[in-house]
Amino acid sequence: MLRLGPRHGPTVLALPALFEEANRTRALIVAILRLLAVHGIGGALPDLPGQNDSLIPTEDARLPDWRAALVAAAHRLPGPIHIVALRGAALLDGDVPAVSRWYLSPLSGEAQRRELERLRIASGGADHGGNRLHPDLLAGLTAARPLTDGRVRVARLADDPREADITFPAAPPWRRSEPEVDSQLAARCAADIASWIGAA
Amino acid sequence: MNEGGRVDPEAMNRVEDTVRGVLRDVLALPDAQVDTFDADTALFGALPELDSMAVAGVLTELEDRLGIVIEDDEVDGEMLETFGALTRFAAERVTA
Repeated sequence: MLRLGPRHGPTVLALPALFEEANRTRALIVAILRLLAVHGIGGALPDLPGQNDSLIPTEDARLPDWRAALVAAAHRLPGPIHIVALRGAALLDGDVPAVSRWYLSPLSGEAQRRELERLRIASGGADHGGNRLHPDLLAGLTAARPLTDGRVRVARLADDPREADITFPAAPPWRRSEPEVDSQLAARCAADIASWIGAA
Repeated sequence: MNEGGRVDPEAMNRVEDTVRGVLRDVLALPDAQVDTFDADTALFGALPELDSMAVAGVLTELEDRLGIVIEDDEVDGEMLETFGALTRFAAERVTA
C-alpha cells in the first residue's frame, strides 16, 4: 500500500479505476494524493487482490475479496477515512465505514460490464483488454452500483452530460493508451477534495 | 431508423463537434489536426492511433457524451471509414 503525506488522520483511501483503466489513472491519483499531502491530508493507495503489484492472479480476483480488502485497509489507517474513487472503483467502497466519498466519473456496474465486454470483443475475445476476469467477478460488478446515500460528491469531466456536483474541463485519461499526467486536472481534483473533506 | 438526410443541421453540428472532441481526447490528437477533419477524412486504417482498442474507447465515449447506445453488432468498418460516416452514424442514434 502506497502511503503519502502525514501519518495522522484524516486519510484519503484512494482507488484508481479498474483493470486497464487502473494503469491509465494511477499517475493521476498519485498526483492528487501528493497535492492533498500539502493540505495536511494523508493518502493511501492499496493494491486490491489481483491488481497492480498483488501476487494474486487477476483471474482469481472476486468482488467480496476486494470489498473485504478495502475494509481491512481502512482499519489499518488513521481515521477519519475519506474515500476518493475513480470510475468503476466507486462500485467497491460501499462496505468501508468512511466519513465521506468523492467519486470522479463513476459508472454503474452494468455500464462497466458493457465497457469490459466491448474491450473483450476488441481484443479478439480472449480476455478483457489484457485482463483475464472470473465470471463471478464480472457478475458481481454488473450487479453493483455506486453509493448515493450519505456524504457523496460526484465529479465529472465537462464533456460528460450526466449529473454531477462539479465538472472539470479535461480529456478523460482512462480512455488514452498512454496518458500524460494532466497536472491541471490533478490540481482541480485535489482542491475540490480538500475543501470537501474540510467541510465534513 | 432515421437516414442521414433527415437529421436537422443544428443537431448535426452538435454531433460533429462531439465526434471531433472524442477523437481528439481518446486518440490524443492535436486540435490543429482534428480541426481539419471534414466528411471525407479517412479514419480507420488511416489514423495509426485508431486501433481496435481505441475504437472501443471512441464508441463508449460517444455513448457517454451523446447519451446514446451503440450495439456492438452495429459496428462495422463502414461507419468508421470516414469522419463523415462516423458523424452520420452517431447523429442517427441521437435522433432515433
